[in-house]
Amino acid sequence: MQITVNGEAKEFSEDQVNVTLVLTQQNVESPDMVAVQVNGAFVDKGEFDQRVLQEGDSVEFLYFMGGGAV
Amino acid sequence: MSGFATRAVHGGPGGTADPAHHALRGPVYDTVSFGFTSAAEIADAFAGRKAAHSYTRITNPTVAELEGRVQALAGGRGVVALSSGMAAISTTIMALAGAGTNIVAARSLFGNTASLLAHTLAPWGLETRFVDMDDLEQVAAAIDADTRAVFCESITNPQLEVVDLGALAAICRAKEVPLVVDNTATTFYLCPAGKLGADIEVISSTKYLSGGGTSVGGLIIDHGSFNWQKSPRLVEFAKGFGPFALLVALRREISRNIGACLAPHNAWLQTLGLETLALRLEKSCQNALDLARFLSRLPEVGAVNYPGLPDNPYHQLASRQFAGRYGGVLTFELAGRDECFACLDRLRLIKRATNINDNKTLAIHPASTIFTEFSPEQRAAMGVREGMIRISTGIEESEDLQQDLQQAIRSA
Repeated sequence: MQITVNGEAKEFSEDQVNVTLVLTQQNVESPDMVAVQVNGAFVDKGEFDQRVLQEGDSVEFLYFMGGGAV
Repeated sequence: MSGFATRAVHGGPGGTADPAHHALRGPVYDTVSFGFTSAAEIADAFAGRKAAHSYTRITNPTVAELEGRVQALAGGRGVVALSSGMAAISTTIMALAGAGTNIVAARSLFGNTASLLAHTLAPWGLETRFVDMDDLEQVAAAIDADTRAVFCESITNPQLEVVDLGALAAICRAKEVPLVVDNTATTFYLCPAGKLGADIEVISSTKYLSGGGTSVGGLIIDHGSFNWQKSPRLVEFAKGFGPFALLVALRREISRNIGACLAPHNAWLQTLGLETLALRLEKSCQNALDLARFLSRLPEVGAVNYPGLPDNPYHQLASRQFAGRYGGVLTFELAGRDECFACLDRLRLIKRATNINDNKTLAIHPASTIFTEFSPEQRAAMGVREGMIRISTGIEESEDLQQDLQQAIRSA
């Protein structure tokens, strides 16, 4: 499955890809300080596991370097 | 979810504050700037695409640790730490309002907050409508299409009025106006402002959080409950950043431009203070209650104002709202200014100082100090009387405080 992550096309071999998996595979630094958009809409932190991605989805990470982001 | 005191000591789930050496006490990053390996990397940092600090006026690792530790205790969507409580308030107002709009604020406010609204921001075209927060109909009537925020304190200083936050929040929700609550007097330990309906919580971390009066600081906590698309000042940020509109507006524009950043060393001191907040607040509140009861029995004392006294008009509300504690500030009345000065001059243990919620008990004559810029008529309207002394209780032995005040009052 191909997903665009921060503007770059990325391949995922798993049958089911959720936001948490993308964060893990992309070695996201400071996961507590990141906000996630899928196709332009923000996803609440509590929904990272439940939010399953589809072929062609676009995921953007936005970092808040202050304390507490989500 | 572990208990408050445990989270206060160990922080949230964010892990170590010192990934380099795993020091149990995080380091002080006393630096202005941070280096990058390439131009693209610094561009990514400024765009928020990379987890990196760039410049301490915007963010700093030591300040971020304090912000994260506060969020672990207070909840909310995010925290911004600034150089003072007044910086937190002024930055919040500037993030929400502008010329031609208005703020609806409690008529009883900390003197500098009242002065900020009435004197400093009014010439820029921002109107403030001061209302009686006990009269919710008056509050609702004051809110109109140009109202950008409703502002109050959990316990006012030094009037010690208590605002019914749940009832006020219901009005604000119905009118689609954010509620800003100054929670300095109670902090998130006694008063869960977000759960009670505050959209934004501001705190002078100079007071209870710093612990021991070590440093000046302030906090803005966005509780994530307000739809920023309903805030004209933030609507453009809301289009791009949705629920993060306020936090992004603060980081990328407002607090960055105002520049009231918290010094890393002060953030370090306040993180240290935060760890003992519950212990100190409990002792301070107990001392205040003991002292209020003691002063009530002295014939030389005219009136004692403390929400913890059963005959206080705010006692029931405060009991419900603040988990059976009533803060560390009380006032009492003597005959007039001369008697107050004589009493203050004879104190041996209690310090004459203009701060609250230090580890040391402090006393001040509000009319001649923190409210001196207001006219006698304005002070009277604010409930600041000439015969009033304000006491802020520390964490000493209760009996020692009582003895010191008794000898000072009787000598006066």
